[in-house]
Amino acid sequence: MKPIVWLASFPKCGNTWARLLLANLGAQEARSINSIGTGDGIASSRRRFDDVCLIASGLLTHEECDAMRPALYRHLAARGGLRATTGEGGDDPLGAFQWIKSHDAWTSTAAGEPLLGGGTIAHAAVLIVRDPRDVVASLANHNGQTLEEAAAMMADPESAFAGRSDRQPHQLRQSLLGWSGYYRSWIEQTEVPVHVLRYEDLQAGAADALGALLAALGIAVEPARLERAAQWSAFERVQAQEAESGFHEAPVKLGTGRFFRSGRSGGWREELSEDLRLRIERDHAAMMARFGYLPEGKG
Amino acid sequence: MFHYVMSGLRVTSDLAMPGLIETAAAADAAPDVRIRQGEVPLALAACDTSGPNWQMAGDRFLLRIPGIVRMTLDAGTAITWQCEGETRPEDALIFISGSGFGLLMHQHGRCIMHGSAVEVGGRAVLFCGPSGAGKSTLAAAMAARGFGHVADDQCVLSGLSGGEVLVHPDGRAHKLWEQAITKLDLAERSGAPVRSALRKFFVAPHATSAADSGAALPLAGIYILAEARAPDLVKGDRVTITPFNLADAAIAVRANAYRPAMVERLGQAGLYLQAAAAAQRSGGVFRLVRPMNFAVMDEVIDALVRHWQDTGLAERVA
Repeated sequence: MKPIVWLASFPKCGNTWARLLLANLGAQEARSINSIGTGDGIASSRRRFDDVCLIASGLLTHEECDAMRPALYRHLAARGGLRATTGEGGDDPLGAFQWIKSHDAWTSTAAGEPLLGGGTIAHAAVLIVRDPRDVVASLANHNGQTLEEAAAMMADPESAFAGRSDRQPHQLRQSLLGWSGYYRSWIEQTEVPVHVLRYEDLQAGAADALGALLAALGIAVEPARLERAAQWSAFERVQAQEAESGFHEAPVKLGTGRFFRSGRSGGWREELSEDLRLRIERDHAAMMARFGYLPEGKG
Repeated sequence: MFHYVMSGLRVTSDLAMPGLIETAAAADAAPDVRIRQGEVPLALAACDTSGPNWQMAGDRFLLRIPGIVRMTLDAGTAITWQCEGETRPEDALIFISGSGFGLLMHQHGRCIMHGSAVEVGGRAVLFCGPSGAGKSTLAAAMAARGFGHVADDQCVLSGLSGGEVLVHPDGRAHKLWEQAITKLDLAERSGAPVRSALRKFFVAPHATSAADSGAALPLAGIYILAEARAPDLVKGDRVTITPFNLADAAIAVRANAYRPAMVERLGQAGLYLQAAAAAQRSGGVFRLVRPMNFAVMDEVIDALVRHWQDTGLAERVA
């Protein structure tokens, strides 16, 4: 048994950055964005489902796939078989766990099982959160949508990634439940201990934020190593890598140099109209207050 | 009883299975494989190894798709299946003729690749890749350009130990999603859904092939499909066809076996090394990188045709 730590976030909230930081923590030399694992590193990997279950997930409906996923993760946790973000062995301080990205909200299958296999296989979840007013422009860019369309998706409790039925999406369907629904689902479940990692705190000081997170998870790392990982994962460095050679995980239609778009916090002050800002603050008031993006009481 | 040729083997089934190559009953010989409905246990006694939904015990294999169907595969010669819950057989058959039969080929000790195949100059070219790589779509687009259909998803290779390598057809239908049917303008050739709940359909190929009767064709090359994306995409042409050296070909062929995990589990790595060497002898193993976009499908096929003219496989542009 090698327990999982879920790296859970709504899309465009800093998951890739967190994965790069963790990969660099265990690395002996700087890792590039294209070397931190491919699409197989995500919970919703179709290829891994097919390889391990020996059937074509593409011949199942989304619901039929979901019904099989809990057993898949239990099997992989038991065998230590998930291809993780980190885990190069040697002196990797993260090596006791399998660190797996997931954009799946915490949901249950029709039979009532937690989709991600429940608390017995997971040590913890790192819930990566970002101000939804900044997420909206990043999501619009990622999906090729207008800001209004992205805001509507973030407010939609039925929203999903890879949810189409007229073709075979690259990944298994990930129910998002909207931005608020996503985070509410994770903090209200009681099976897996949740540790919140705010994008804004990473930005204010990645080494400190990462160190605090790992301490909470019971993992001690020397400060120098945290500093080194933060330097190797600096946003300007990541952006330069993307400009040079692209990012393997970016949507193809983005072309070069736009997955890592601005990386700023508070960019919404220039990018969002007053109407859109008010809409997002209204749609997500309770969760924004919960994570410190709105004063208590406004929620 | 229904009679088929599947991957070069004579198969009988107590239910009609769509998309396969029908044949007359052989009066003089027993079938190679029997597929029948029957009682299937939920678990095998004393299993050697298992996955989330399967178990293996000696030469017996149990595969379960919960709520839909479960089946036992015995010694490469028999599949027994039982539907679960309210599932009707029509909605389970694709798992029996697909996953079930493919795993049975591993038991049988045959080399089975995860690929589609088309006929070029009287020989078979394979397009391999994981689910979603575009195997069926490329084969269907090529059939519309006159290249005969050989296989949609599984290609058994025989004759690996010397002489001519043969590719055995898996059926006579494309299996395509609604989006591909629309984009390739194949609505008129589209038939029943692969399963009633899926918008994926059996589609009759445009071009006929010697493989339509179940006959094998000599192998002319293996093309591993990859999507043009960063970092490759930013570095060069949109469509590239690059030969693998033997070492990389060996890795690629094994990785593109049908259910690669079974190769190791059944100790058949040597067979796939042999297949890579045989493929190199028969024309080569190549990486085909292209955008996965219907708008550039003709460009992809043009690049393949030019490549086959260069290698001498195709005499003229189809």
